[in-house]
Amino acid sequence: MGELFKWDRFFENIPKIVPYLSVTFAIVIFATVLGVLLGIVIAFVNMKKIPVLHQFFKVYVSFMRGTPMLVQLMLVYYGLPVLIDSAFGTNINREWSAITFAYITFILNQGAFLSAIFYSAITSIPYGQTEAGLSVGLTEIQTFKRIILPQMVRVALPPFGSDLVGLFQNSSLVFLIGVTDIMGRAKTIGTATKHVLEAYVFVAIVYIIISLIVRGLFKYLNDKFEFGKARKTIMLDEI
Amino acid sequence: MGFNSDYFWECLRSGIIYIPNTIKLVFISLLTGFIFGTIIALIRVYKVPVINKVLAIFVTVYQGVPIVVALLLYNLLFMLEFNNLAKFLNLSKTVKDVDNIWVGIFALTLTAICSMSEVIRGALLSIDKGQDEAGYSVGLTKVQTIRRIIVPQMVPVAIPMMINNIVGLIKASSVVMAIGITEIAAGAIIPGSRTYSFFEGYAAAALIYWTFTVLIEYLAGRLRKHTGKFKRSSYD
Repeated sequence: MGELFKWDRFFENIPKIVPYLSVTFAIVIFATVLGVLLGIVIAFVNMKKIPVLHQFFKVYVSFMRGTPMLVQLMLVYYGLPVLIDSAFGTNINREWSAITFAYITFILNQGAFLSAIFYSAITSIPYGQTEAGLSVGLTEIQTFKRIILPQMVRVALPPFGSDLVGLFQNSSLVFLIGVTDIMGRAKTIGTATKHVLEAYVFVAIVYIIISLIVRGLFKYLNDKFEFGKARKTIMLDEI
Repeated sequence: MGFNSDYFWECLRSGIIYIPNTIKLVFISLLTGFIFGTIIALIRVYKVPVINKVLAIFVTVYQGVPIVVALLLYNLLFMLEFNNLAKFLNLSKTVKDVDNIWVGIFALTLTAICSMSEVIRGALLSIDKGQDEAGYSVGLTKVQTIRRIIVPQMVPVAIPMMINNIVGLIKASSVVMAIGITEIAAGAIIPGSRTYSFFEGYAAAALIYWTFTVLIEYLAGRLRKHTGKFKRSSYD
């Protein structure tokens, strides 16, 4: 048992793994920023019920919510080259690095999940509020910006927070397509030194810390957005 | 290259053969998760001293660990230490005799325990404290109050979150292919490993999972209508 876990190996691994946090954060930031944009577009299409696009996005969101992240990642990784290469005669399989496929998957996935969060946040506000806004002479955009949006943010915040925690955790899957994030780095340490337990434990601790920070941040934001309105919030895992 | 549909059907059939493995992974984890999750939720809601705090910390911390990290960690410990443990317990088994699907089940079970405990706790907290008091005041015991007053009201609150969890667990179960367990996703790409074309295999796997989740959500919608019935007729 003495050989199994050694603290000096554990501490040796820290400087080797920490730099790769940037990869994890890059995936999360790309996925969140572009995912929010995609989510807004999908939610807008669903609100306006734009024909064809509306049905298409419905199927799209259902697919993204109904299949495992891992399978989506593999589908993009193996499928995109097949589709694009045969259509355009390119060779993206070689030309694009694995992380590009990871970015694409996570953006597509987050777009779907976030659109569902935005859509249910918008529809949680009674339509009477929009009518009231329009009746006092506000334009549609003004009504949305001044009346709906401030209320919507408060509703969307808790599910957005748990979505972000989930995103950080899901980003650990990218090592399966050969991206070296912190988990991928832990694996390569394992193959190089034959001692991988310490690296895995450190990675687990990193993820725990990240999730605690994100949860804490969203709890703080949530309290801030209460606007003095006493409300019992249950963190609904709508995702 | 391109999408080969004959090949896709072959992958689909291969994936379907392994559905029982996914069901085994999900079902055992869910059942254990539900039992222990309920116990944890009750301990936390009724604030049993000390254990309450320990469990709260455990659940919060454990929910921060990605399932793939936990899985690889357990698999490693299983490979390294199982023989020693078996010797210590005088079992005549070695690591080769045990199917590593149990490592997958173990990892999924711990995840399920944490998420189930949160669902049940959320549902318990959504019920007004006055209901407990009302139960006691008419002479019901604590157990009777829970069984007759609290649980019937909890069920409609818990079902949507529970379904999210079940769907989440089905999806999470695909991760076990990382330690070499063959379930739907790993099964569907078996035909592909001959030719290194995995696209059709993963497309087939996605279709199977998608069918599963859409079906579950449809059934859940019907169940929710059924369990919420009493609410509409509360003042009859």
